[in-house]
Amino acid sequence: MKWWPFTKRNADLERELQSDLALEELEQRERGLSSEEVRYAALRAFGNPALIREQTHEVWGWAPFERLLQDLRFALRQLRRSPGFTLTVVLILALGIGANSAIFSVINSVMFRALPVENPRNLVVFTWTAQQQLKYHGHSSFGDCGSPGSDCSLSMPFFHAVRAGAKSFSGVAALAGPLDINFAGNGTAVTARGEYVSGDFFSTLGIKTIVGRPLNLSDDSTSAPPVIVLNYGYWQRSFGGDPSAVGRVVRLNNTQVAIVGVADPRFAHLTPGKTQDFFMPFALVDRVRSEWWGDEDDRLSDPAIFWINIVARLKPEVSISQAEAEVSGIFRNQVLHGATPLSAPSAAPAVSLLPARQGLNGASAEIAPLLNVIMVGVSLVLLIACANVAGLMLSRSAHRQKEMATRQALGASRARIARQLIVESVVLSITGGGLGVIVAIWGIHALVQLISNGSAADFGFEVVLDWRVFAFTSAVTFATGIFAGFAPALRGSRVDLTPALKEGAFSIPATSRTGLRFRLGDALVAAQVALSIVVLVGAGLLMRTLNNLHQLHPGFDTQNVLLFGLDPKTAGYTESQAVALYGNLQRRLAALPGVVAVSYSQNALLSRSTSGFDVHLDNAPPKSNVLTDVLPVGPGFFSTMRIPVLAGRAFTAADFNSAVDTNAALAKAGKVSDKRPAGSPSLLAPVPVMINPTFARRFFPDRNPVGLHIGNAQRDEPAKGPQPGFLIVGIAGDTKYEGLRREVRPLMFLPLVQNSAHFELRTATDPDELVKAVRSVVTAVDDKLPLFAVRTQAEQVEQTLFQERIMSRLASFFALLAVLLACVGLYGLMAFTVNRRTSEIGIRMALGAERSRIARMVLRESLLLVICGLAIGIPAAALASRLISTQLFGLRPGDPFTLLATCVLMLGVTAIASYLPARRAASVDPMRALRNE
Amino acid sequence: MSSMTKETQQRMAVLQGTLDMLVLRTLLYGPAHGHQIGKHIQRTTNDFLQMQHGSLYPALHRLEKRGWVVSKWETAPDINREFKYYRLTEKGRKQLVAEESQWKQMTEAVARVMWPASEEG
Repeated sequence: MKWWPFTKRNADLERELQSDLALEELEQRERGLSSEEVRYAALRAFGNPALIREQTHEVWGWAPFERLLQDLRFALRQLRRSPGFTLTVVLILALGIGANSAIFSVINSVMFRALPVENPRNLVVFTWTAQQQLKYHGHSSFGDCGSPGSDCSLSMPFFHAVRAGAKSFSGVAALAGPLDINFAGNGTAVTARGEYVSGDFFSTLGIKTIVGRPLNLSDDSTSAPPVIVLNYGYWQRSFGGDPSAVGRVVRLNNTQVAIVGVADPRFAHLTPGKTQDFFMPFALVDRVRSEWWGDEDDRLSDPAIFWINIVARLKPEVSISQAEAEVSGIFRNQVLHGATPLSAPSAAPAVSLLPARQGLNGASAEIAPLLNVIMVGVSLVLLIACANVAGLMLSRSAHRQKEMATRQALGASRARIARQLIVESVVLSITGGGLGVIVAIWGIHALVQLISNGSAADFGFEVVLDWRVFAFTSAVTFATGIFAGFAPALRGSRVDLTPALKEGAFSIPATSRTGLRFRLGDALVAAQVALSIVVLVGAGLLMRTLNNLHQLHPGFDTQNVLLFGLDPKTAGYTESQAVALYGNLQRRLAALPGVVAVSYSQNALLSRSTSGFDVHLDNAPPKSNVLTDVLPVGPGFFSTMRIPVLAGRAFTAADFNSAVDTNAALAKAGKVSDKRPAGSPSLLAPVPVMINPTFARRFFPDRNPVGLHIGNAQRDEPAKGPQPGFLIVGIAGDTKYEGLRREVRPLMFLPLVQNSAHFELRTATDPDELVKAVRSVVTAVDDKLPLFAVRTQAEQVEQTLFQERIMSRLASFFALLAVLLACVGLYGLMAFTVNRRTSEIGIRMALGAERSRIARMVLRESLLLVICGLAIGIPAAALASRLISTQLFGLRPGDPFTLLATCVLMLGVTAIASYLPARRAASVDPMRALRNE
Repeated sequence: MSSMTKETQQRMAVLQGTLDMLVLRTLLYGPAHGHQIGKHIQRTTNDFLQMQHGSLYPALHRLEKRGWVVSKWETAPDINREFKYYRLTEKGRKQLVAEESQWKQMTEAVARVMWPASEEG
């Protein structure tokens, strides 16, 4: 009986009551009344059907649902009646919840996401420390361990020793890279990023392949046929997802390899943010080399070359400290007692094992400050939004005081009223939350676009909406919404009925309770103003930083320069062939119409790649070297880049020839052991170099450096082979090298006679128009030579400023949002105040106050509020700006100009916001206002 | 509800408590529908309990919820119309007995206070 569907039961009751009423009417009719009166008499005898229905429903236990439904319908109706309020609150809630969820989801994926392998929790990465510098022959790092003080590059023999001898692990794997490799055989030759992995990499990490097979131990031997496994993303992009790619043969740096598989799409890279295009076994390292490695490097068996990362899976019964002790012993053995000891025992070399998630943080370390700024900005805006919503709801509830009083007079209990108000708040919150999901999903998309726009590669992180984050932010906002709706309900329901009914909300506040509510509204607005100031100052500082960087002159002309890179070594060129190639290209490119000048250098300026080494100044104590930046350049570099030559001369063709000869002789001497005693004067001409004024000031402070000699670095071991040193032939102007932010360091220009080069073309017009022509020239010279990093210098500059640009843009967006919210809050409060004090204003006017005086009164009040907000906000902003002090350039945190400008801006904006309420106050009709009372 | 005077409220409370008992007693005679029960109580009490007989229905449904009565739509024997007839259940019968004895005890107690038995010869 109880579980009959509602409508059926209701219909049944209805039928029952109607039949009773019909009988009653019949009986009444027998008394001889007219049909009208019969109806009424029957009803009187029967009772109130509505009341009976309600009571029966209560018996059935339906009452709470009915009340809820009633509350819901009423709430919807009320909200529809004030669309401005509803829309504003829902929008604010949606933005607050959505934006916060989006940013925290991104932060979660970038910083905290689990590794995309099997059982990531027991994976550890090897890092080492030593008290003294180890004397290794080579050290490469690929940006896997971002934190300072931890070095995770180790040697191959160490890896073999661990794999063979350590008992703490159920699997050990090594990886290194990615390296830029010449990838040919799939259309035109391109540069692809290849990751070296050990044969057991796939099995140890539990990574599967969706096509073909993974690499295994048998592939990782020098006698095995060379094979590679493609990354899923690269397979999609470059092979169109074609399954027949497996089995195809391609050429890596002129070595033929077969593709045997495609990796699982879920695995992008072990280190977050890094991606690679394919995986190759370590056995290929002698055939597929990076151009940065010396020709003599034996990376597979030299224990003094540290270049690979080692990850391992701990056995469940072994603790980290036990494993650490074991591998530290192996490490110490190798470093101190191996064939070539790398250090003295006092260096105490040791290995620590970090959980892989923590140790490999790669790119996330770079993005971290950006994300933190975003997080702070969004949190502040969320706070402002909550305060705003609370303020709006408070003022709205004050409007409804009369309504509350009426309802109470009609018999509603306080609980009933409170419940109804809560339902209203909940409806608002749920609508806001629902929209918030949409905002969150869109926001994640937008954020990922924003952050990855600067880097050419995949974003490398997979961001999904984190439901925990969403639930948390929703809960916070709901709580605010509900509390803000509920608090006035508490107050409103204790109101003394008669005066409330008589006066409504529109007369002079009689009770201190209404006064208290007013002050709470004030406090909220002041708080919003203060928070907006903080966000505004932050945005202002970041924008000025960006501006400062843009205004900075880097020491050369960045306009109308086209850049591109070439890597002939990977296409099989020798050094002398490469130099000839560069000369050839330089001549051909200079002949193109629209090209003003052509040159080349090892690194393009402002591209974050720099080179440097130690040199020994002639008058310095022996074995004490100084570090200098170094940039090998081609002929005509200074005139192409418009760097002034301040003293001496630029490089001539003779300089280049001399440098080529010296280089060839050094290379030859390096191969044959030189029986010449150390330190004896060299018969080779010193390499001609140019220095920048910073170098001259630092190392030759009181002399003219032109014509002086600088020696090669002096190490502890006696030098092998001739040490020609360098001869300063000229001084070129100071330029920024690595990027715009780094201060100008001592820089030495050398003639470029080896390695890869980046070409710089100065064009008469837009550089982009010449890209096609340039490509065809290069292809005509050698079609197996891939171009990479084609861009204009202006674009390069923009790229280096990518993070600053984003932060500035985001901060401005937040600032705008914050100011908007604060103004809405201020406007709402002022409007409410004016409304409430309409009769007071009427009286004032009747007593002779002019309209302008009334307007000024309102403005003064709002000004007071804003000044309170400023008083709190400015010191808070000055303190908070210290958090971003590392991001600033050319400014101190707490920069007074920015603070002042923000104050003025805020005052101006809020004056506009209070203009409308002030005008409304001034246009009050005193007769109507007084009559209302 | 709160606008009624205290006296009416008190009377209603007593009424509601005993109403259940009266209904159960009425049904002891045999099944009846709401109108009949109302009229019966009205007649038998000579209109003393000024109850609008519609207010029986919440009581009837409450009794049904507790399982003391069951209801069914049946055609009336004399008129060709359907009414919802209520019947006493076994549980209802027991409840009636219990309430009856409780009422007797209460009235006896009250009577003893009001009219103490005078020892007369």
